[in-house]
Amino acid sequence: MDVRAIVLVAPRPDGAERLGDMPIALLDVLGRSVLQRVVDRMRGFAISAITVLGDVEATALRVLPQALEDDLRWVRVPGADLWWAAQQVFANYAQSGAEFVVVTRVGPYSEIDYDALLQSHLEGNSRITAVSDAGGQSLDTFVVSAARRDDADFLLQHQLRQSRVPCLPYRFTGYGNRLATAADLRQLAVDSFDGCARIVPAGEQIRPGIWAGAGARIQRGARILAPAFIGARVQIGAAAVITRGSVLEHHVRVNCGTVVEDSTLLPYTSVGAGLDVAHAVVGFRRFTSLPRRTEIEIFDSKLVGYVLPARLRALGCAVSLFARLPSKLTRGWGRNGAAPELSPVPPASSEALSKSGSLPVATGRD
Amino acid sequence: MQSNRPMVIKRLPEQLNQRSARSFWQEMRPILQSDRPQIVFDLSEVKRLDAAGVEMLLQCVVEVVKQDGDLKLAAVSPAAAVILEMTRSDRLFEIYESVSDARRSFSHYVPASARSLPVSAPVVAAESEDKPEQAA
Repeated sequence: MDVRAIVLVAPRPDGAERLGDMPIALLDVLGRSVLQRVVDRMRGFAISAITVLGDVEATALRVLPQALEDDLRWVRVPGADLWWAAQQVFANYAQSGAEFVVVTRVGPYSEIDYDALLQSHLEGNSRITAVSDAGGQSLDTFVVSAARRDDADFLLQHQLRQSRVPCLPYRFTGYGNRLATAADLRQLAVDSFDGCARIVPAGEQIRPGIWAGAGARIQRGARILAPAFIGARVQIGAAAVITRGSVLEHHVRVNCGTVVEDSTLLPYTSVGAGLDVAHAVVGFRRFTSLPRRTEIEIFDSKLVGYVLPARLRALGCAVSLFARLPSKLTRGWGRNGAAPELSPVPPASSEALSKSGSLPVATGRD
Repeated sequence: MQSNRPMVIKRLPEQLNQRSARSFWQEMRPILQSDRPQIVFDLSEVKRLDAAGVEMLLQCVVEVVKQDGDLKLAAVSPAAAVILEMTRSDRLFEIYESVSDARRSFSHYVPASARSLPVSAPVVAAESEDKPEQAA
C-alpha cells in the first residue's frame, strides 16, 4: 500500500497558532520541533513520502535548526499560493502511483495512529476520511484516496474547511493539543514530562528526569531540579536555578542567579542575571505570563535578549572588524607605527607608599 | 490613625526606559527629598518598563526611606507587573489595586479582602495626570 503525506505549515489567519512571527508548529518542544515530531510519527507508520509546504517568513526561518531543513522535503511558498501548491503535490503523488494521501495541517498536534486511520478509511470505502477530536472538532487531518483528485482539489481550495462529498468521520481519542497559544505549547512540554504525550526529549538523560542536549554548558553552582530539559548549546550561569519542569531549548542563555520555574525558554533566548522567570513562555523578545495571560514585548537585553545564530554573529564580528580597521590603521600611522612603551617604575619605598596611600602604576609614554 | 502630611500621587509615563526614567527622576527629586514624603505611583498607564525604569523605582524607594517617608505602587498594569515580578522587585513595594486603596493605606491598614472598596472617608487629595499634586 503506497501512502504519502502532505504536511501544511499554515497557522490560522486570526493570529492564533503563532508566537510573534513564528508558527508554533515550528518551535521546539523538548529539543525537536512539533513539525519534526509529526513527520517522525508519520515515518514510523511507513508513510513513504512526505512533503512539507510552509508559509513561513524568512525571519522565522533564520532561527530554525538546520536539521529541520535537512531532514525534510521542504517547499516554501507564499501564503496565497500555499493551497494551490498543495494541489500540485497531490497531483504529482497521484500520477506517480500513490494510493492514499494523508493531508494534515500543523497547527494542532495529535498522536494519530495512522494504521488505524487508514484501516478505517478502507473499511468505510470512502473518498475522504476526516479526523476529529473527542469533542467532534476537526483536527485538520484527512485521508484522501489518490484517485479522487477533484475531491482533493476542492478540499484544498477551501483550506480543509469544506468538502465536496460527505467525509467519513474518524473520532480520535488519543493525545492531542491545539497549540493555539503559548500556554498550549507549555502544556505540551508538561504533558511530555508527565508521560501523557509520547514525546521523548531529544537529549541524553544526565540524571533521572534531567535531559541535556549536545554542547550544553552548566556552570558549577547552578542547580537543576527534575524534570527539566536543557537543549543543545544552552549556557547556564552560576547559581542559576532551573526547576518545576522548565524547558530550555537550544542556544538559550540563562545568566547567573536567575531562577527559571515552570517555564519554557524558546531557542536563542537570553535571560539576564538575577531574574525570576516563573510560569512563562519566553522567546523572540516576548514574555508570555501564563497566570496573567499577558504577552509583553521586552526590548531591554538586560532582562530578555536574543542570542544571534552563529552565522549572524560571525557576520556581525566581520562587520565590526572592518568598521574599526581604518581608524586603528590611522592611529598607528600617526604614531609612526611605534607601539607605546611602558616604563618600569622603580619599586616604591614603604615610606613613599605610606605618604601617597596608593600603589604605583605603570604608565604608557607617548 | 490620620496623617496630615502631604501626599503626592504621580502617574508614571507609558514608557519607562532610560531616558524617560532620568527625566522622571529629575522631576521627582525635590519631592523625594522633602520631609517624610508620602508618595503613590500610579502605574496604570505603563506599557513598557525596562531595567532602567525598575532601577529608578528602587532609587525612589531608597530616597524616600532616607527621608523616613513611604512610597506605594497602585493600579500596576499587567506589563509592569510582569517586569516587577521578573526582577524580583515586586516584593519591595506595597502594591495596591487602585490609587484610592493606596491613598487610604497611608492612614488605615487596608487588608487584602477590603481593597478596592469605595472610600468611606472623604479624601482631600486629588489625582493628577502629569503634575504631582499635594493634599493637606
